[in-house]
Amino acid sequence: MPDYGHDLTFGTFITPTNAAPATVVDLAKATEAAGLDLATFQDHPYQAGFLDTWTLLSYVAAQTERVSLSANVINLPLRPPAMLARAAASLDLLSGGRFELGLGAGAFWDAIGAMGGPRRTPGESITALSEGIDIIRGLWDTSTRERLVVDGEFYRVDGAKRGPAPAHDIQIWLGAYKPRMLRLIGRKADGWLPSLGYVKDLNDLTTSNATIDEAALAAGRTPGDVRRLLNIGGTFSAQRGDALLSGPPEQWAEQLADLTLEYGFSTYILSGDDARSMMILGQEVAPAVRELVRAERGADRTDPTSAVGR
Amino acid sequence: MDYGHHLEFGAFVNPDSADPAGVVDLARRAEELGLDLVTVQDHPYQPALLETWTLLSWIAGSTDRIRIAPNVLNMAIRPPAVLARAAASLDLLSGGRLELGLGAGHFWDAIAAMGTPRLSPGESVDALTEAIELLRAVWAGDASSPLEVPGAFHALDGAQGGPAPAHTIPLWIGALKPRMQRLIGAKADGWWPSLGRLAPGDLAAGNAVIDTAATEAGRDPREIRRLLNITGSFGPTAQGELSGPPSAWVEQLLPYVLDDGVGTFVYAASGGADLERFATEVAPALREAVAAERHARSTPVGAVVPLAVRAKRREGIDYDTVPAALAATAVEPGHAGFAGVRNTYLRGGSPGLVLRPGDADEVAQALAFARSQPVPLAVRSAGHGISGRSTNDGGIVIDLSRLNGIEVLDVDTRRVRIEPGARWGEVAQALHPHGWALSSGDFGGVGVGGLATAGGIGWLGRKHGLTIDHLRAVEIVLADGALVRADAEHHPDLFWAVRGAGANLGIVTAFEFEVDEVGDVGFAQLVFDAGNVATFLENWGALQEAAPRDLTSFLIIGRPRGGQVVATVMATVDSDDPDTVISRLQPFATLGPLLQQAVQILPYPAIVATPDGGQHGQGEPATRSALVEHLTPEFAAAAAKLIHSGVSYFFQIRSVGGAVADVPPEETAYAHRSANFSVTAFGAGRTRLDAVWDTQIQPHANGLYLSFETDPRPERIADAFPPATLARLREIKARVDPENVFRDNFNVAPAEPGITAVAG
Ligand SMILES: Cc1cc2nc3c(=O)[nH]c(=O)nc-3n(C[C@H](O)[C@H](O)[C@H](O)COP(=O)(O)OP(=O)(O)OC[C@H]3O[C@@H](n4cnc5c(N)ncnc54)[C@H](O)[C@@H]3O)c2cc1C
Repeated sequence: MPDYGHDLTFGTFITPTNAAPATVVDLAKATEAAGLDLATFQDHPYQAGFLDTWTLLSYVAAQTERVSLSANVINLPLRPPAMLARAAASLDLLSGGRFELGLGAGAFWDAIGAMGGPRRTPGESITALSEGIDIIRGLWDTSTRERLVVDGEFYRVDGAKRGPAPAHDIQIWLGAYKPRMLRLIGRKADGWLPSLGYVKDLNDLTTSNATIDEAALAAGRTPGDVRRLLNIGGTFSAQRGDALLSGPPEQWAEQLADLTLEYGFSTYILSGDDARSMMILGQEVAPAVRELVRAERGADRTDPTSAVGR
Repeated sequence: MDYGHHLEFGAFVNPDSADPAGVVDLARRAEELGLDLVTVQDHPYQPALLETWTLLSWIAGSTDRIRIAPNVLNMAIRPPAVLARAAASLDLLSGGRLELGLGAGHFWDAIAAMGTPRLSPGESVDALTEAIELLRAVWAGDASSPLEVPGAFHALDGAQGGPAPAHTIPLWIGALKPRMQRLIGAKADGWWPSLGRLAPGDLAAGNAVIDTAATEAGRDPREIRRLLNITGSFGPTAQGELSGPPSAWVEQLLPYVLDDGVGTFVYAASGGADLERFATEVAPALREAVAAERHARSTPVGAVVPLAVRAKRREGIDYDTVPAALAATAVEPGHAGFAGVRNTYLRGGSPGLVLRPGDADEVAQALAFARSQPVPLAVRSAGHGISGRSTNDGGIVIDLSRLNGIEVLDVDTRRVRIEPGARWGEVAQALHPHGWALSSGDFGGVGVGGLATAGGIGWLGRKHGLTIDHLRAVEIVLADGALVRADAEHHPDLFWAVRGAGANLGIVTAFEFEVDEVGDVGFAQLVFDAGNVATFLENWGALQEAAPRDLTSFLIIGRPRGGQVVATVMATVDSDDPDTVISRLQPFATLGPLLQQAVQILPYPAIVATPDGGQHGQGEPATRSALVEHLTPEFAAAAAKLIHSGVSYFFQIRSVGGAVADVPPEETAYAHRSANFSVTAFGAGRTRLDAVWDTQIQPHANGLYLSFETDPRPERIADAFPPATLARLREIKARVDPENVFRDNFNVAPAEPGITAVAG
C-alpha cells in the first residue's frame, strides 16, 4: 500500500543564516506568498553561522498568518524535552495552531559535546528520543490532572505539572533512515521526514515504508497514522531530462505525483532558498500534483484502508 | 546615590497561557504608549504561563521599536550555550532590541520536577557566574576559533564562537541576597529586584554591596543600572504606596531615583488603562522632576564606558573625542560586535576603532578624526580587498557598510546611484526587476567601493566592459574633508583617476552608473581533465579570443593531485536563447575529456549570489597578477610550469578584451586595455609563489590588475600603471592628497613639487 492517501502539502526548507536575518524571514514570507503550506528551518545549535531555530520559528510565526512552521529537525540533545514541550505548546497557542514538531536524535556528537551537550551512541540517542517523545506528549496531555512522571534512562521528569495544551494536535515528525528509528516512527511518531538527497536508491524508500508500517501495525496503529514527508531539492529548467526534479514544472509534478502514488509521500519540502522556485512550486507544481494524484486516487479506489483526504 | 542613568520605563506583561492574544496585545500597547521596554517573567515549570523565550521572540516579531527582556530568565533550567546563540539571534532579528534579565533559579522543587538537577543556593550562584562568562565568551567569539570555557556547571569544549549580537546585550540580574549582589558588582550590567520583595532599606544596602564589589573589581558603580519591578494602581486619592493619582506616584517614585539610584521602573499593570496612565502621565512627569533635581544637584548623567570596554582600548586613539555622530555606531575591541568587524574576507585584523559613518558628512567627520590620531587608517566598503588592506592592527577603520543605498535615478537612461557599502549581489538583485545588470565580477559578496574604484573584471566583461566603464559620476570625500562631485565636466582629472586608482584619492561615497539591459544568461561550468596543461591553455585562449563578445569565460586550475590537472571553465553567455548558449559553448567541448558539465539559463543575480556568513579571514593573502595579450605557446608553457610546481592552490585566467579594449588606454587610470587575459595565482606562501612567478610569468606580463595583486615590492606600482598614467596620477595625488592619507591600497606617491602636470 504505497499511497497512504494523505492530503498533499508543500513547503520550504530555509537556511537560517544569521549573516542576513531579514533575508531568512523574507523567504518564510515568500513561502506564504507562494501559497505553500509549510516553512521549515534546519536546527544546528552548535553552528554559529545559523540563527537559533527556535527563536527564528517564533519570530517568523509572528510575521506570518497562514503558513505552518516546523524545525527540520529539532536537535533534541541540545533542547531538553520538558522545556521543548512547553515551548512548542506556547508557539502553537500563539500562532493559532500553526506549529508542527520535526524532531531529530542528534548526529554531530562532537559539536553537541562542545556545546556542553551529551554524547550518545546511535542506539542511546534513539532511546533518548523515544523518552523525549513520551515527555513531550505527556506534558501536552492535559486530559489528566495527574502530574507527569517519566523515569527514563536519559530523560526524567518527576512530578511536573502538565500543560499548556497546544492549540491543535501538534504532529511529531522524525528525520530517519535506519530501521531502529523507522520502527520508533511506526510506534510513536506522526510523520517520517527523510531527505531525498540522502536516498541512494528509491527502492530503499519502499523498504523503509514497510518497516514503519509493520511497526505501526504491531503497535496497534495503522500505517496511515504516519505521514511521509520528503525534503527535496532540484532546479527548474525549460528542458525535460532524465534526472529527478530537474526540468519544467510539469515534469516535477509528474515525478512528485509518482512519489506520492508509488512511495506514499504526501508532503514535499523544497530546499534552495530561492523565492522564484518557491513561487513555481506553490503556483504551478503543487496544483498539478494535486490534480494528478486526485485523478489517480479517484480512478483506483481499490484499497479500502486508504482514506483519501483528511 | 543617584547613578545618573537615563530614566527608562517598562511594562511587566503576565504571560498567561490561557490568553495568548491578550498578552501580545498588551505588549503592543506598551510599544504604542512609547514605553522603552516590555518584559516577561520566566517560570518554565508553570504551565499557566507561556514559555518565555518563545513569547519574547513572538513579541519581537510583532513590534518594531520597543526593547524586550525576560524578567528574569531562569538560568537553572536553560543551558547557556544554546541561550547565547538564541539571544544573539533574537538581537539580530529584532535589530538590537534584546536585553537580558537573568536569575539563578528559585523554586527548586518545580525545577527538579522538570528533570533539571537541584542546586544549593551557593551552587546556583556559581552556576550563574559561569553562565555569564559563557554567554559573553560566545558573543565575543567567532566561528573560526573554537572556545574552551572551563566550568563546574557549564563548560564549552571546542564550541564555535558567535554570532555576535547586534548590540552589546546588557545582563541584568534579579537578586536579593549579598552573594548575588557581589556577583552583580563584579560582573553584571544591572540589578533588577522587585519592590514587593524588598523591605525598607534593602535597596540602599544592596546598592552598597554592589558598589563595593564594583569598585573592588575596578569598575565604576555607574556601569550598573538599577531596575525595579513595581506594582500599583491609579485612583483619585492617594491610599498608600503607589495607589492614587499620577502626581502621588511621581512623588513616591522620585526618591527611588534620587536616593536609591533606580534608572528603570518596570510596571506590572493590571491592564492597558493603568499602563497608559503610567506611560503618559507618570513617566513624563517623573522624568521632568528627576531632570530638575539632577540639575539642581549637578548630578553627572549619561552612560559611562564600562571597564571591560576601557580595558581593551588601544594606545594612540583618543576615544573620548570621537565625534558624537559617530560614537553611537562606532565599534571598539570591547564591544559585542567587534568580532564581526575586525577581520576582512582574506585578512585577520585587530583595529582599535571601527567607525561606521551613515552619510557623506559623517564620512568627512570620521576622516578628520582619523587624521588627527597617530594610528593607521583603513577604508573599507565590504572587506573583500585583496590588494586593499581594509583592516589593520591598532588603527582606525572607516567602514562604509551603512552607506549601502541603491537607487534608480532615471529609468530612461538607466542611471543608477549606488553607495560603496552595497555588495554586488545586492546590486544584481536590485537591478534585475528592471531587466538590467551591471557587469562587476564573479562574486556577490564583493563591495561596490573597492571594485568600482579599481576596474571590475566580471562575467559580462567582453560584452559590457569593465565596471568603471559604466561610471558617469562619483561623489568623493577628499583628504581635506571636502565632498566633491566628479564627472566628465567637473573635476575631470579626478574622475579619470578614480576609474582605476580611486583608493589613492579619497573615499567615494556614491557612484552613478549607466547600467545595461541584460536578461537571463547562459551559465556553464565545464570541468576538464587538462592532462596537457600548456596545450589546454593555448587552445582555450584561442577559442576565447575568437568567440563572439557575448561569451566571457574564466578558467580555474587547482593544485595538481596525483599528477592530474583538473581545469574548470566557467562561462557566461549573455543570451537567454538556449540555442545561442549551446552554440557558443559547443567549441569548448573539444578542449579535453569532460569530467563534469552543467549548463543553465539563469537570472544574472543567480551567478553573483551574495554568500552567507561573516568574515573570518586570518593572516595575509599571497597573490600575484598579470595582464597578458595572448596565451602564446611560450606563456602557456610557463603557466604549466607554475601549475606543476604546486606553489599555487588557485590559478585563474579571466578573459577580458572585447568591450574592455574599446576604451582608449588614456581614458581611465585603468590603462591596460589591450590585454585579453587577466592571470592570477593564490599561493600558500609569498616567497615560493614569487620565486616561480617572477621567473615564469612576469616576463610575459604586460601590466597587472591591482585588485588581484598583493606583492608589496615597489616595481608593482609601475606594472599597475604605465608611465604616462602614473605621472598623471602622481600629479593629481599631489593636489588632492599631498600628505598621502590614502595609502592602504597600491599607493601612488604624490608627485614631488616642481614636476609639471601631464595635460588632460
Ligand atoms: C572572493 C573575491 C572575488 C573577487 N572577484 C572579483 C571580480 O570578479 N572582479 C574584480 O574586478 N575584482 C574581484 N575581486 C577583487 C575586488 O574587486 C577587490 O578586492 C575590491 O577591492 C573589493 O572591494 P570591497 O569594497 O569588498 O573591499 P574592501 O576590502 O572594503 O576595500 C578594499 C580597498 O578598496 C579601497 N576602497 C574601498 N572602498 C572605497 C571607497 N568607497 N572609496 C575609495 N576607496 C575604497 C580601500 O583602499 C580598501 O583597502 C574579488 C575579490 C574577492 C575577495
